[in-house]
Amino acid sequence: MKFTARQPGINVNVSPTHPLKDFAILAGGLLAIVVGVYLALGLAVDLIVPRLSMDLEKKLAGAFVGRLVETEEVDTTTRSLQGLVDRLQDRCAPLPYIITVHVTESDAVNAAALPGGHMVVFTGLLAEMTSENELAFVLAHELGHYANRDHLRGLGRALVLMTASTVLLGADNTVNSMIGQGMVLTELSFSRKQESQADEFALETLFCHYGHVADATSFFNKIPEDGDPGRFGHYFASHPENRRRISHLEDLAQERGYPTGNPLPLPAELTTKTNAH
Amino acid sequence: MIDLIIFLSLLALGYGAGTWAEKRHYRSIAERENAAINLPVVTLKSVDIPEHKIRSAKLVYGSAVISVDYFKRILASLRNVFGGKVKSYESLLDRARREALLRMKEMAGNATVIVNVRIETSAIGKQSKRKNIGCLEAMAYGTALTVEE
Repeated sequence: MKFTARQPGINVNVSPTHPLKDFAILAGGLLAIVVGVYLALGLAVDLIVPRLSMDLEKKLAGAFVGRLVETEEVDTTTRSLQGLVDRLQDRCAPLPYIITVHVTESDAVNAAALPGGHMVVFTGLLAEMTSENELAFVLAHELGHYANRDHLRGLGRALVLMTASTVLLGADNTVNSMIGQGMVLTELSFSRKQESQADEFALETLFCHYGHVADATSFFNKIPEDGDPGRFGHYFASHPENRRRISHLEDLAQERGYPTGNPLPLPAELTTKTNAH
Repeated sequence: MIDLIIFLSLLALGYGAGTWAEKRHYRSIAERENAAINLPVVTLKSVDIPEHKIRSAKLVYGSAVISVDYFKRILASLRNVFGGKVKSYESLLDRARREALLRMKEMAGNATVIVNVRIETSAIGKQSKRKNIGCLEAMAYGTALTVEE
């Protein structure tokens, strides 16, 4: 019988699976794991945060506020705000934190609660203020975040994501550098519930300190609805449901019988600052 | 965001161009394999041919370097996480080895048989910093015998 050379017909060395199918399964699986780990560690953050000691928090704070503390020059504005925060804290909002106020030059109408009791107030916010009560509400709102330790939760999830990506992809990966670039002081995000709680805390503090809640919601009302979210930051950008927050505060004030009184004018140091702008 | 867009475009480009090149290459391989099907290529060290009948015996070799595309590399790195068959690299090796064999046959010209054939595979540019160039070379070599009729 004569031998005739012939091709084998099938290629045994290459798997017939379609590469896109392979990709979908692997990428989907990896994504599911990352999401799962992120959620699980997110829950872990909620467990850890209340147990985190003040000492440890101060150590962690170094990474975020190092810059602020270095460029510290206590001017009259800062001193005046510090005084207001101290007065609020003294009688009505006793927190286990020593709050240090930092005033930062920026157009952002915003304030931020950083770890270690460092509260950052932007000059853009001060320029919008018309009464001490209004300012006190904003500061008390930040104190509320400290009271519930939301500022740690806000950072915690970012840290968790960084941890997860480092474990899976190794240090110095694109996810980490993206987070690093994205971590701006004003971008600590809080959930709707956390904001509500801070609002309630601020309302109670305001009533306790002044005996009435005048101007508690005036700040919200002042911001135009179509305002640039970048400028209005933490109070407004993450909250398209501003009206809900206002009515929530008004309902609460009515329910608890908080009266409205006459708001105090801004302290002189802050007014000159405002006019200078 | 920009990073993500760049990544996805590279992925799409890698998939499109890679698939196109691979299909073309396989078509060409199949054609040339059919054309050269009557030149036997064996791994035997010797064949049962009387010595005086062998007109020439010479070394023939062929080598081919095939590059991985972006899509295949990402797919393989995903595979690195879970383990298992790295299917995306299988076709690269297959193409490189068959191409090397074909080139070896081409070098052999009108030989009767190629004996003692070996195939070597090596990765190229493996250690160039963090950016893997990701090429692989397959080399086939053997002894081409031309036998008197």
